[in-house]
Amino acid sequence: MPSEETKERVVRAIDFGRTVLHYGWIPFIIYVGYTRSNPQPSLIKLISPLA
Amino acid sequence: MVAPPHESSVSLGPYTETSSLSKSSTLSPTFSPFVNAYSRLSSWRAALGLPNPGSVENLQKEVKTTHLTNFIFDGARADLMKGLSMDPAFQVTHSFQLASQSAPPTYSFGALFANAKVLLQGNVDHEGNVSGRFQQSWSASNTSKMQAQLGMQPGHTMIQLEHDYSGQDYTLNAKAINPSPLDGSGIYVGSYLQSISKNLALGVETLYQRAALDQAEMSSSYLAKLTGSNGKWIATAQFQPIGVLQATYWHKLSEKVEAAADLQVIAAPMRRDAIATIGTKYDLRMSTFRAQLDSTGKVSALLEQRFAPSFAFTVAGEIDHFKNSAKVGVGVMIESTSLTPEEMGMVPPPGQPHF
Repeated sequence: MPSEETKERVVRAIDFGRTVLHYGWIPFIIYVGYTRSNPQPSLIKLISPLA
Repeated sequence: MVAPPHESSVSLGPYTETSSLSKSSTLSPTFSPFVNAYSRLSSWRAALGLPNPGSVENLQKEVKTTHLTNFIFDGARADLMKGLSMDPAFQVTHSFQLASQSAPPTYSFGALFANAKVLLQGNVDHEGNVSGRFQQSWSASNTSKMQAQLGMQPGHTMIQLEHDYSGQDYTLNAKAINPSPLDGSGIYVGSYLQSISKNLALGVETLYQRAALDQAEMSSSYLAKLTGSNGKWIATAQFQPIGVLQATYWHKLSEKVEAAADLQVIAAPMRRDAIATIGTKYDLRMSTFRAQLDSTGKVSALLEQRFAPSFAFTVAGEIDHFKNSAKVGVGVMIESTSLTPEEMGMVPPPGQPHF
């Protein structure tokens, strides 16, 4: 059985990971898509719905 | 014929046989009867030529794509899809939805990236709720999946880890929903589907739910899938011992017409209920039409009409005869792309010389 301190640390780590996933997931996909696309699109076309 | 590896060794027949002998002799002699039995069993199994039954998740896929339950909407919606790259696929989507009777107006942004091995998909709405999907194919038979829903409020988080293994005539799947590394709580699902003959596949799905340290609950359901020899029809059944039965039947009537029926029976001590649904789908050249009728008195229809390759118009309608209510939905879908036709891999139309 892990100690209380370890437990708290694990809970904090999970919380941090969830926050990173929450704010980072969409930017991560856009970054991967932007760098791997062939041909590389322009940034304004990527974000704006009208361009 | 290949010569034996050593001059001194007496010829033992073809080279392949000697190599298999030397391979099995490296294993401990205790295991060799099991290894032999296993290899004989697996070669016998391969000789049966049973097909892969497909995954448990896709057991009712044909019925779900024929019925419009998953496609219907009400109010107005607009989807602007932008393809930025074809290979690897990369697209972004802006969706607007308003005037729905049941949901508040929403805006959501989606991004998708996919190549042969990896799929990344994400969606964020105007309130900041993120949903994401990640898939990685390790080989032709192994796929790992992750799915997450992250809400702005702390309690609204769901994460699901999944692994799929599809063998020659069976499929295995393991799933963990909200697993906690601290106390092991969460929902765990394992499923196995095995082809018994060329047409019949049987399977079992077990759900293990663990709320806290000493509270655990396990339930199983049994699955069967019967496929027509020509692939024109599929019948499935799913039975849970607490008294829930779901049976479906799907038939491809012609190249363009599909029909599906679904029957759900709940015969638990507390609740007795049954719903039957029948529906058809017409795939025409520029449009798709779905119509559906169910035993709760709902009649619904959905038409997706494509006016140009990049512009589609959708009309949905549903009348509930027992409750005397109706829903109507109108949607547009615009696809734009920054790519030239050559980059998209399209063949130029004939009759136009290509310089």
